[in-house]
Amino acid sequence: MRVLIADDSRVMRQIVIRTLRQAGYDWWEITEAADGAAALGIVRSDPPDLVLSDWNMPEMTGIELLRAINAEGHDVPLGFVTSEGSPEMRTMADREGALFLIAKPFTAESFRDAIEPVLA
Amino acid sequence: MTATLLTSDLVLSVAEEVFAALVDGEEGKLTPWIGAPVSFVEPVVAWVDLAGEWAGRAVLLTERSTADDLARALLCLDPAEDLGDEDLVDAFGEIANVVGGNIKSIVATNGDLGLPHVSTTIPDASGTIIEEVLLSWRGRLMIVRVLHLS
Repeated sequence: MRVLIADDSRVMRQIVIRTLRQAGYDWWEITEAADGAAALGIVRSDPPDLVLSDWNMPEMTGIELLRAINAEGHDVPLGFVTSEGSPEMRTMADREGALFLIAKPFTAESFRDAIEPVLA
Repeated sequence: MTATLLTSDLVLSVAEEVFAALVDGEEGKLTPWIGAPVSFVEPVVAWVDLAGEWAGRAVLLTERSTADDLARALLCLDPAEDLGDEDLVDAFGEIANVVGGNIKSIVATNGDLGLPHVSTTIPDASGTIIEEVLLSWRGRLMIVRVLHLS
């Protein structure tokens, strides 16, 4: 399983990776991107099996990344891991076909609850 | 919705949840500050702005050494390990970002959350302090302030 984590915070990328390991996904092969534009470049050149993306990022936001992935026809699923999870954002994410939206602060349990159903 | 929905208990609850999940891995390390606040010798401040139907700012304020240890805790670094300015800015800003995001979910149903900023100077804002909560993180003062910007 090749997973791309897009977040402009290096610290948060590390925390996401740590929490994925705690949640039992220590076998995942992780690639990192510092914003949505960098993530889109990786999706184009070497598509991962899953993207975990922050929402607020410079250059290209998470929702803009998801729209670009859809518009370019890449078959790459995306879930959000973001600082807020307002109903408005969840509706927007659903509309664009996001797998899930995990609001920070998260735990290993909340990761498993969101990820397990889409892996099944 | 308006900021009147925000209470000091809610701010405390948000901060406790953020610190327990992301910083400490357990509850109880962040508690209300007892007594008069101490003066910061070398303050560090992090904030995020909320724009939209409710314009505001969520601010975290603490001593530099406390922010350093907060960053070390986030990065799982040993207390003696060197910490770069970049890591401090990233870690402290991200805590403000998550606290601000959760406060936004209380005070507004829509609008945008800005990117975090970190500085040694408290940002000038012609706003009104809606809530200010004094907290003790591992015995050291941490202030969470929410402003309504006009």
